[in-house]
Amino acid sequence: MALNPPSPSLSIFREKKSFSQLPSMMKAVSYLSAVQQADFRTRTHDNPHTAPTPALSRSSSPATSFEDFVLNEDDDNSSLVNPNTPPMSEQVSTTPHTEFGHCANEAYRCVSKHDYTKPFLEHTIEEPPLYVHLATYISFIILYTLGYLRDLFGMYFTKSHFTHLEFHDGYAPLDSKFDSFVRRRLKRRMDDCYAQPITGVPGRTLHILDRYSLDYNHTQIYTGGKTCALNLSSYNYLAFSQGHGGWADAVAESIRQYGVSSCGTRLGSGSNDLHVFAEALIARFLGTEDALVCSMGFATNSTFIPTLAGKGSLIISDELNHTSMRVGIRQSGAEIRLFKHNSMSDLESVLREAISQGQPKTHRAWKKILVIVEGLYSMEGTLLNLPKIVELKQKYKFYLYIDEAHSIGSLGSRGRGVTDYFNVPPGSIDVLMGTFSKGFGAAGGYISGSKSLIDALRLRSHSGPYAEAITPSVITQVVVSMASIMGVVPASQLTESMPFPCLDSSIVAPKKGVEELPGMVPASMLPRWMILCPSLADGSEARMRMRRLAFNCRYLHAGLKKLGFIVYGHASSPIIPLLIFNPGKLAVFVRMMRARPIPIAVVFVSYPGTSFLAGRVRLCPSASHTKEDIDIVLRACDEVGGILDMRYGSCERWGIDEVCERAVELVHSV
Amino acid sequence: MDSSTSVALEPLLSFLAFSLSKLESGFYRIPGSAVVARYVKSSHQNDPGRTILELILVIFAIRTLLQSRTRTDRSGKHFIKFSEKEIDELVDEWAPEPLVQPLSEWEQKDLSSVPVIAGPNGPKPKLLATGKVVTNLASFNFAGLAGNEKVKERALETLQKYGLGSCGPPGFYGTIDVHLDLERDIAEFLGTEASILYSQGFSTISSVIPAFCKRGDIIVADRSVNFAIQKGILISRSTVRWYDHNDLKSLEDTLISVEKERKKRKGPLTRRFIITEGIFERDGEMVDLPKLVELKLKYKYRLILDESVSFGTMGRTGRGLTELYNVPASQIDMLVGSVANGLCSAGGFCAGSAIVVDHQRINGTSFVFSASMPALLATSGSEAITFLRNNPSVLLNLQDNIRAIRAVLEKTEGITLLGHRASPIIHFCLRTQQQSLSVTQPTYDYEAEERILQDIVDDAIANGVLLTRAKHLHGQEMVESRPTIRIAATAALTRKEVEKAAGVVKASVTRILSKRR
Repeated sequence: MALNPPSPSLSIFREKKSFSQLPSMMKAVSYLSAVQQADFRTRTHDNPHTAPTPALSRSSSPATSFEDFVLNEDDDNSSLVNPNTPPMSEQVSTTPHTEFGHCANEAYRCVSKHDYTKPFLEHTIEEPPLYVHLATYISFIILYTLGYLRDLFGMYFTKSHFTHLEFHDGYAPLDSKFDSFVRRRLKRRMDDCYAQPITGVPGRTLHILDRYSLDYNHTQIYTGGKTCALNLSSYNYLAFSQGHGGWADAVAESIRQYGVSSCGTRLGSGSNDLHVFAEALIARFLGTEDALVCSMGFATNSTFIPTLAGKGSLIISDELNHTSMRVGIRQSGAEIRLFKHNSMSDLESVLREAISQGQPKTHRAWKKILVIVEGLYSMEGTLLNLPKIVELKQKYKFYLYIDEAHSIGSLGSRGRGVTDYFNVPPGSIDVLMGTFSKGFGAAGGYISGSKSLIDALRLRSHSGPYAEAITPSVITQVVVSMASIMGVVPASQLTESMPFPCLDSSIVAPKKGVEELPGMVPASMLPRWMILCPSLADGSEARMRMRRLAFNCRYLHAGLKKLGFIVYGHASSPIIPLLIFNPGKLAVFVRMMRARPIPIAVVFVSYPGTSFLAGRVRLCPSASHTKEDIDIVLRACDEVGGILDMRYGSCERWGIDEVCERAVELVHSV
Repeated sequence: MDSSTSVALEPLLSFLAFSLSKLESGFYRIPGSAVVARYVKSSHQNDPGRTILELILVIFAIRTLLQSRTRTDRSGKHFIKFSEKEIDELVDEWAPEPLVQPLSEWEQKDLSSVPVIAGPNGPKPKLLATGKVVTNLASFNFAGLAGNEKVKERALETLQKYGLGSCGPPGFYGTIDVHLDLERDIAEFLGTEASILYSQGFSTISSVIPAFCKRGDIIVADRSVNFAIQKGILISRSTVRWYDHNDLKSLEDTLISVEKERKKRKGPLTRRFIITEGIFERDGEMVDLPKLVELKLKYKYRLILDESVSFGTMGRTGRGLTELYNVPASQIDMLVGSVANGLCSAGGFCAGSAIVVDHQRINGTSFVFSASMPALLATSGSEAITFLRNNPSVLLNLQDNIRAIRAVLEKTEGITLLGHRASPIIHFCLRTQQQSLSVTQPTYDYEAEERILQDIVDDAIANGVLLTRAKHLHGQEMVESRPTIRIAATAALTRKEVEKAAGVVKASVTRILSKRR
């Protein structure tokens, strides 16, 4: 099987078979995708560049040794399993191509750094033509009308479907008809694109469990089959979550030694030496005094924020902050004000008003003001204007809390997040919070700042006495990830001022007064049993990954813009929201991307997750993608976007081939 | 002159009359116009004052609609107008408090006395500070699953196949097949229709409660519920009524009074919930489940039961209180448990009907907005369930050990054992002259007692037994309970070892208390 080139006819047949079982509503989609697949086939014949190389058999590729754990034995997408350009003999790969793509071309690298010579764009929203908004409104009106009609008739004809929404037997319904309307009548139509279970490593590709529904997505039936798809949706930015390789080896060793659970809370005998190692390492990684870990990213915000502010304090929060922060803020009992998303001028006016007016009614001065923002916003891809907010902080004396859930590891030349990206000293920020489930491929989160702050949080926050401690395997992954980014100095070679190997110091001259981040980590800061392979220990592997990620993000962002799409967010952001607007097109887009010869897994976000008018698809490239993978995604978006009429952008347009050819130029121009 | 003007005005007047009648007929041709006309007529009632009032109302409504909603303060009477210069001065003058108050001397001691384990946690861990091996009576390892080789093996297999992190929330390709497997395993184990996994035990119930309880709903809860439940209730913004700790008579009285109140107010029927714990984390008391279920069915409440301590420890195979009391789990609407405690992995779950579970998949904030749990922790949970199913003798050992510990400590002078005799967590507090265990009126010095208990803990650790005080956020809990020492029994130790360890605890208690006298 491995010798055979992919057979598109087979894949079409498979798709058709599964589609025929779907409700009739989706037949149009299957038609569209069939058309599109035929189109793709003709294209691939013309263009040998994207055609999988049939000559490349598994036996000659280094992936052979991974055959035992390649999940899809029956996979017909050999271009997903084997690289187009086979790696040179000297490049020994430790992971299968499906998990981490082989890309040896040094041109496809980029350094994630802010260019201070260019102005910073806070949040530019490109508006589509008016008719798009109008169509979106009409589309929602139709959806709502149909929904209400179905409710109306359903109440008479299929009463059994509504019993749980009505008073029955003296119980009030758990969910009123009104509250659940959006979920039942809007979301359920697209449920086949939401919460799809996967199997295997969410690396460069993921394996979606095939399923279909016979009752309009009320229940899903699993066929038992799997679809291997290019993964543009997981937050595995640096692809550290792998089944094999240096990271997994260390985790495996920790499981052998420590077992699975930490058996208790941090304050109640669940702390172990790994926690201590990790916290010291995180503090060093970030350049702060101390750090504290928590077993869940969401809980890091929701359990630590209440300890930071209380009655008589004011919390000023960005209007698009993540729910975890809102939950934490609500529990704190502090007064809350919002400011416009990422608008520093609005923040300033809120601050001026708050400080001058004082507390409501009493006009007493606020005890303290805490400004809570995100480094990189997960729905918008916007980047915090850090230099400006630090400037404001000096003037208005508020405390600054930055949630770096998405930016830590993925931004900055040294992976240290927004502070690194803007070259702002981390010590000038009071609280740095972040998660491990994204860049580090683990789970949980950290909070870091001054020693006195962290000690107080250790003892007084909800997490310490009540929440389970982070498990040994997870914290090991964190330690290895951070150590591999920083690089490890063997204990014998340690000198006091070991500088961090600089990637490219010529791009940005550090601002005055910037303290150097502590460089490589001494081996004594790692558990003694943890021995990293050379490419991890010298930090070269992680550096390569950070540079690949930076390239992929910029290329995909700039490429989509050149193709005429409306894309939000910052050019370096690893989250790329591609605006589709119309709710109907969202689901069709996701389905069409999945039904392509090389399936692509993307996620959509719609009302109520975003504003009413700004339904979008979110693309998250990772370091594991090769340039060819991004080409595939761009080509797919170009075709599907053409069919769905999604190109509303006002940017100067290039053809798809031009975009692919001039990728490097494109990346360095932004 | 007069007539000439009237003649001259005639065409104008007739034109006016004509256009008016045209307007009127045109107005009446608009669908729904009759209603408007009728409304205006009936509101006017030959009284221009009323019309003016209505007009004012309309203007007011429009004004309210147009007003900016974010900063109501600005137009409010409390708003003081400052010039830019004055604001600058105020900004310069303002001096904020420090972000956190520094730790007090006792807090620092408390923090430094937290034990840190070097290497694996289990029945006999090594302490980082002293390097000594101690007998563990503090960590949650009830069924002795810590370090279980089969679980480890399964975790390693999973790691190879799935990597570590799931790298996404459940909605966005973060649901892995092993999560579905564990959800099904838990549901089958308990006998419910479905279950849902959360990635942290603590955050489970504080997300489950606000997923169902909204503003206007009624919650009747035990006064001494754990902190996570308190936070969940706080976020839900529902109306809360508290009943006395583990007193089902008080619960019934509360239920009756709630119903009476509703009838008196003629209020609509809202969702009503009883929230309590199976075994209370704070003192080890156990709820009388059959009676509780009877009450809930009688008064038509839904029951949210937190089995974080009892799941994986109680009953023949660890199914929790439902197995112990032989109550079908399907009678408990939302059964919340901890995978971290009961199955020695990480995370939590909520089991219930398919409707209850599906509801949380959209409305459970810490489910929707957080990354799903690492795959290997999920498979470890599944393996632990298999272990519990196949080894019922483990929990008999656990009960044996609980009895052994209680037997020794009951005979110890100067302390009072709390909680149910079968509870796997055993709390004891200092016995005082007043003998008052009332939670509402503290007749004791909180910090002084904590210091004594900490001395006991330190002494026991020095003698080879790991203990811990029950840690609480003093001042943040709704009801302060007395400081206690919390022992967590484990099946991983033999009866002999447990008796010996309990003997050490007893000796430490006697030593410290006699020193103080």
